[in-house]
Amino acid sequence: MNRHVIGSAEELPSGSRRVVTLGGRSIGVINAKGRLYAVRNVCPHHGAPLCEGSVAGTMLPSDPHEYRYGREDGVIRCPWHGFEFSLQDGSSLACPDRMRVKTYRVEVEDGDVVVYA
Amino acid sequence: MSIAVTAQASEQSDAQRRGVVAGVIDCDVHPNFANGLRDLTPYMTETWRRRLGIGDSASWSGSFAAASFMLPLDYLYVNTAGAYRSDAAHGEMAPGTDARYTAKHLLDGYGIHRAVLIAGQLLGIGAFPDPEVAATVASAYNEWMSERWLQVDERYRGALAIAPQDPDAAVREIERCANRPGIVAIFMPLHDLLMGERHYYPIYEAAQRHELPICVHPSGTENVFARAPRMAGAPTYYLEWHTALAQIHQSNVLSLLCHGVFERFPKLKVMIAEGGFAWAAETMWKLDRDWQGLRDEVPWVKRPPSEYLLEHVRFSTQPFVEPHRREHLLPLLEMVQAERTLVFSSDYPHWDFDDPSRALAGVPDDLRQRICVENPRELFGERLG
Repeated sequence: MNRHVIGSAEELPSGSRRVVTLGGRSIGVINAKGRLYAVRNVCPHHGAPLCEGSVAGTMLPSDPHEYRYGREDGVIRCPWHGFEFSLQDGSSLACPDRMRVKTYRVEVEDGDVVVYA
Repeated sequence: MSIAVTAQASEQSDAQRRGVVAGVIDCDVHPNFANGLRDLTPYMTETWRRRLGIGDSASWSGSFAAASFMLPLDYLYVNTAGAYRSDAAHGEMAPGTDARYTAKHLLDGYGIHRAVLIAGQLLGIGAFPDPEVAATVASAYNEWMSERWLQVDERYRGALAIAPQDPDAAVREIERCANRPGIVAIFMPLHDLLMGERHYYPIYEAAQRHELPICVHPSGTENVFARAPRMAGAPTYYLEWHTALAQIHQSNVLSLLCHGVFERFPKLKVMIAEGGFAWAAETMWKLDRDWQGLRDEVPWVKRPPSEYLLEHVRFSTQPFVEPHRREHLLPLLEMVQAERTLVFSSDYPHWDFDDPSRALAGVPDDLRQRICVENPRELFGERLG
């Protein structure tokens, strides 16, 4: 695992994202309402550029015919087929045991955004 | 002489084949009225006989459709082969109208251990515009079935008929009859609302509480009446219409799964009679894939939808698939998880009848045992006896 400085924290304000290539891998670094996430930019389903998808919340598992919105800013949704993944650990919301996208540790260190990948 | 010997040999080999599976449960057999609705008059009040115009009508009125009620069926689609096995007629008795003869012909003849009766000419009552008419006919049929069939041969079992138009009346009928001897299921005629809709939930609640599976069947009224189940377009020919009936079952299964009916009623079981099953493979695959992207629209579907289908929905086998290449049969059965999902049916006395030994001849013995005996026993439970 290598330490990569991808830029200053000021260059990645809340609501923004950057896609960088680290060690030959395309990785999205996302600032969702002040929280940083780093996610492999390849959807495990069909290889779509996952980090071009929307970041939002979603409907939580509920009783029939009831909607409960939650996990605001914690879910990224693939731009192709709409598969949802947890930004926290990369697990698929539909099938967490069967599908997962790789996530990486990301920190702000001395004003820099650092990804460990 | 040689012809007779050949015929005898053929009979023996038939008998041997039939011996392969003992205790076959036939999940779809149709008892018929010999005289249409008139057979139900002993089981109706005078008020209802008047309402339906089937009391003491003049001799000419039977030939005038407008002079009395008729049961909604497929009057606009004509089966040129006849909709019934003509060899199931018995003297003056039309096919499926004589419980004793049916016991001899079907049950003895094919080694059927239990036969689940699903309303013969009542298949289409979901199309009646008046819910009370449908409920009255269903209730009278249930009396008729008990008296004229279930009490005639101990191998018969019955699916309780209800009117889907009026769920409260349907629940009252379930409460009235659920614990009668021989009742193993609820026959819910289809109408123009898909099965996942809330309209049906009182029926599902009662079915679950009594541990009775819901059976549905092509209604024979598809696209014929305004309140009948709808298919795409209006087919011209019987062949076209009959093959397209699977559309309705596909839509109903999707409706059940997407509305989360099996989340709400976790013990409910549904049997799709005569609706085909090969389509279930693609339906499960496509639904699971699309659900991964559209899960948030139906967040109550908490698991891949195919899992609910495999746990709660059963398909009766007839008319069994006949792939162009025999070697495609087993992969297909594997795709639909036939060892869990299929239950044998003959559809006697209809024209497209399946003989358990002939129709399932290409199915390995252990799988045939599952389909003909174990799966139906799991579906209907102890009531099957």
